[in-house]
Amino acid sequence: MAASAQKTFSKEYVDPVGKSVPRIDGRGIVTGQTKYAFDVSFPNMLVGKMLRSPHPHARIISIDTSKAEKLPGVRAVITARDTHQIKFGSNEYFFPHTVDQMAIEAEKVRYVGDELGAVAAVDEETALEALSLIDVQYEILPAVFDVREAMKPGAPQIHESLNNIAVILPVNFGNPDRALKEADYVREDLFFAPAAHMAALEPHVCVGQWEIFSNKVTLWASSQAPFKCREALAKTLKLDLNDVRVIKMAVGGGFGGKLEMLPMDFAACLLSRKAGGLPVKICCNREEEFLATRRKHGMIYKIKSGVKKDGTLAAITGEVIADGGAYCSYGPTVLAAAIMRIFMLYKIQHFRMTGYRVYTNTPISGAMRGFGGVQAGFAIESHMDMLAEAIGMDPVEFRLKNITTPNMVTINKMVLTTNGLKECIEKAIESCRWYEKRGKQKHLCRGIGIGIAADVMGSKMYKSHESAGSIVKVEEDGSVYLFTGAADTGQGSNTALSQIAAQELGVSYSRIRCKSGDTEITPFDTGSFASRVTFISGNATLLAARDAKNQILAIVAEDLELDIDDLDIKTEEVINTKNKSVLMSFDKALELCYAFHYGKQIIGRGSYNPKTTPIDFRTGEGNVSGSYGFEAQVAEVEVNKETGEVDVLKLWDAHDIGKAINPQSAEGQIEGSLAMGLGYTFMENLRFDNKGRPANGNFANYRIPRSIGTPPIECIMVETNDPNGPFGAKGMGEAALLPTSAAIANAIYDAVGIRLKELPFTPDKIIKALKEKEQIESLSKGA
Amino acid sequence: MTKLNINKREYQLDLKGHETLLEVLRDNLGLTGTKTACEESECGTCTVVMEGKAVLSCITLAANCVGKEITTIEGLADGEQLHPVQQAFIDHGAVQCGFCIPGMIMSAKALLDKNPEPTLEEIQYGLDGNLCRCACYLKIFDAIRDAGEKMKTLKGS
Repeated sequence: MAASAQKTFSKEYVDPVGKSVPRIDGRGIVTGQTKYAFDVSFPNMLVGKMLRSPHPHARIISIDTSKAEKLPGVRAVITARDTHQIKFGSNEYFFPHTVDQMAIEAEKVRYVGDELGAVAAVDEETALEALSLIDVQYEILPAVFDVREAMKPGAPQIHESLNNIAVILPVNFGNPDRALKEADYVREDLFFAPAAHMAALEPHVCVGQWEIFSNKVTLWASSQAPFKCREALAKTLKLDLNDVRVIKMAVGGGFGGKLEMLPMDFAACLLSRKAGGLPVKICCNREEEFLATRRKHGMIYKIKSGVKKDGTLAAITGEVIADGGAYCSYGPTVLAAAIMRIFMLYKIQHFRMTGYRVYTNTPISGAMRGFGGVQAGFAIESHMDMLAEAIGMDPVEFRLKNITTPNMVTINKMVLTTNGLKECIEKAIESCRWYEKRGKQKHLCRGIGIGIAADVMGSKMYKSHESAGSIVKVEEDGSVYLFTGAADTGQGSNTALSQIAAQELGVSYSRIRCKSGDTEITPFDTGSFASRVTFISGNATLLAARDAKNQILAIVAEDLELDIDDLDIKTEEVINTKNKSVLMSFDKALELCYAFHYGKQIIGRGSYNPKTTPIDFRTGEGNVSGSYGFEAQVAEVEVNKETGEVDVLKLWDAHDIGKAINPQSAEGQIEGSLAMGLGYTFMENLRFDNKGRPANGNFANYRIPRSIGTPPIECIMVETNDPNGPFGAKGMGEAALLPTSAAIANAIYDAVGIRLKELPFTPDKIIKALKEKEQIESLSKGA
Repeated sequence: MTKLNINKREYQLDLKGHETLLEVLRDNLGLTGTKTACEESECGTCTVVMEGKAVLSCITLAANCVGKEITTIEGLADGEQLHPVQQAFIDHGAVQCGFCIPGMIMSAKALLDKNPEPTLEEIQYGLDGNLCRCACYLKIFDAIRDAGEKMKTLKGS
């Protein structure tokens, strides 16, 4: 009997969109049952370790692995001789010449930590001993660690590129030189934003297995983009795509650091092959994590702008130099994002900025949360305040005069539809009581500052399309399975997508089971980056749920001899939309679908690719995203003039997220972003020693935000209901940390009148700036 | 043979002597709920409760735990009934990637067992050793306050 086969589901979470339903994986996480790649274990699993270069720049003369191979307990040793020596990279589609890294380097090593081999053994001790037995002969080459040194003619050549410049990105619109001449006021500023690290708590970890006789490779990975990882593995291992399966486990934080295949992923698979198919687990320790995964680009940001007396921005020009480290990774797109985000924010007619992405013999810079926008946000939003002050305008009014509006096309052809930027600014300043506070708390050394930001929802920068796919399967027992290629890395996408599926299908969220990010089972998805998942994978999920619903309604319509266009499913009931009558319960409708003569399986499919135009990197022109998100952020601080310490009293973030699918989860993203922004503002600075190694590569010396010091944060959701978003939603998760450093810099200026242009704002820098200010003041008094 | 009392169960282990409690939990007993992010006592991810105190299992020798009552994240729920701290973390959305959560919850439990009504400052200090890179801290503070109240009510009833 069909009826008895059906399960009973709680009706607690019908109409889940817009509600803070509990995380779909919440019970697993709080009980320790959730399995991360870190927890994957198999019988006879081997431990793999990477052989890393101790030199920042050297030619590999010879590698002798014979002693290591003979060590009891060693099962496999690989060097470049065992590989196809195929290079991989992350911007193959737009910047093919930046595909510059080999999983196992064959001829040259370019930073301390560069991989030139790997071993697998029965335990970690043996693997480490085996590494020490490998004899590598190097020809040491001169190295360069500073970007400005690296760009000088005659500097050590790290790759085949002139002056170590991997990418030059000139972005030009209008006639900025003329516009600067015609401006009433022009100023130039130079900002320094340091290298930083994603520092996800779960290290990079993977288990690889090569089934020798079927020639099939499986990687259990901690990945933000399992399909992208599959592509790189297949390419470098010279396998067909469908011979490689990447299974994304729960991910203990990514923040951009787990977007790409790393050499260890490649090595785990190849070691497994050499070890006769035994699974091989490789786990970075914290030192390797800081040294040899990915880091944030340090940037030097020069910006020169002109304004009219009435506050109109006349022109913006500048130059960005990004420290790329040893290989390109996501560098080109990070650089592009650091330059081009400004078009989403300000109406500009005349613009010229040139970006340089430069190689150095230091750890590889990739994409960290914010994609270059954090460094740019600090520079641009500090600079805007200085421009406003110069013409005697309130920074809020200055911004309101120049910001983009809804339904406009920017100078580089971005199509902004919904745009809640104005509302975000207004709500943030109302909530923080801006006009009561700005400039009025100097006697307390207190100040308030603003910063604004915008973000894309996906960018079509990984390949020609940006598509996501979903499958919604409704079983005979009433349970609903959502298969999505999207990679939940902790941001809660499995929960949000399940909410979208339940809402569109018209059923309770408690019916949904979600399977995500397994390249053999789930549809394709480019991954978790560019704040794209809610918007793009959400649309795919919406379409799949709609397809499943229509399949159910078709049966009901046939059975009741009604027109399918008059039917819908809402809150677990099939309704006649014409006369608003309830026809049957969702369970009854399913019973019908799976009844004797219908026997119709309900499998809905959805595929979504946003309508955009490709970006032309020669000009900077293109509508990269199907939607754009906006926000305004305010910081209130108190500066201790004696100690140089800054107390952040409160942060406000008003955010245009289209529609909050799960308000609690959206708040969590904002709060987490702001805290990460605070970390970058006050403490995070990945420094390098005289060999280009991280000088502070551990949690004792690389401080990240802690419970102590987390200020109160007020999140204000601005819901602009985007016509292209699922239930009006846009993406989020990155934008909120873009303006934090500038909002704080602007607040510090309001409090004590010092302008900080170099992150992080450590007490010594603040005291130095205060002293300089005092000296200048006393000099001018004396004069 | 070494006898360890973990989650109210006695385990007999053949130890070499130098294993940390973390290694024993994860590698010997398959209790992988306890994580580690640094293995050098800097992150708090490996926190378990021993004799009522939050301890870092990565720097605790297993051999020194004989005769002591150890609770890990796996031992916190009562059957299918979550511990109030676990439930509060779900209710308040205090979970993002979740990797720090087992350690965070064990620190919170140790704190609340001693002080069910902690001030914000006491919570912040109580969790100072537990890093969360998703920086869920504000929601975690709410969860802990809420759990403290529930635990007090449960004790009173």
